[in-house]
Amino acid sequence: MRSRNGNSSSLLAICSVIYFSSLALHAGEYLVSYRYVVKDMILFNDSLQVSHAMKKCSGTPDKSIEFIDNDSENLNEILKNNSFEFTNFIHTLGLEVNHKETTINAQNSSTTILTLKTTCFKVDFNDNFARITALK
Amino acid sequence: MKYSMLLVAFLSASTLMAETVVVDTDKIKVAETKVILEYPKQDEKLDALASQLTALENKLGEVSQKAQESEEPLLERNKQMLISVMGQGVAPMNTSSPAQAYALAKRAAVADAYRLIAEKVKGVRVDGQDVIQNMMVKRSTVRTSVNAMVRNANVVETTFKEGLCEVEMEIVLAYSQFAQ
Repeated sequence: MRSRNGNSSSLLAICSVIYFSSLALHAGEYLVSYRYVVKDMILFNDSLQVSHAMKKCSGTPDKSIEFIDNDSENLNEILKNNSFEFTNFIHTLGLEVNHKETTINAQNSSTTILTLKTTCFKVDFNDNFARITALK
Repeated sequence: MKYSMLLVAFLSASTLMAETVVVDTDKIKVAETKVILEYPKQDEKLDALASQLTALENKLGEVSQKAQESEEPLLERNKQMLISVMGQGVAPMNTSSPAQAYALAKRAAVADAYRLIAEKVKGVRVDGQDVIQNMMVKRSTVRTSVNAMVRNANVVETTFKEGLCEVEMEIVLAYSQFAQ
């Protein structure tokens, strides 16, 4: 005959497993690249590319960001709603700077390209929020 | 009697000579005291000169310190260096709202600030070319380029005035980031 305490502890463990599995409803890995071009001090072009990772990413978790979102499992939609915050987050990860400036007969023109090289992100979709973690 | 008179005269003469000698010695003593009295004056002069010398040394130290400050600072071990830049960006003419203009100008200003940080940390490649024909400059070209990877740069302050956005950006550099 089992004791009451033993039953309760196993029940608690099962419940916690169910709870945590329900909390992380869906998780996935995505490849994200970002690039924007500034020509003569004016923003010229800006592109954010997102795609599912075809194979499992290798890397350790780096910085992460959370977006409040109601039951959405589409990363593109989440990023569209929070594009400003996400671009700021990308800046903290580090960008590659390519700048070229030409002066011909005292007439100046410049082009600056900032690029986030293709980086793998792990995304956890939960009930109320999505957590995006960069892998390095 | 004659001898006695001579003796007296000799004695008197010798006494007179002795007095003069004594007087001379007194003079010498006086002279010595004068010299001794002059020593403190020379010490004061020396002190004044020494104080002037220390003041000059201090000025020289300040000047050399200013010269060192004007030179580019070196990143030393166990020390951090803060680099601050001001990037500028302009809003495009065809924007649908002031908010969009602000956002686009800020993005351009951030890119400019990144470029300035890269220029400061890594340096600029400069290529120049002048074409001269018939002793006249026909075409003068200067090309500059920067390639770098910038991480952990922070926006400190943003101002937007009359279509111009200015972003103050800072980056903290540590020796360990470069040591390999």
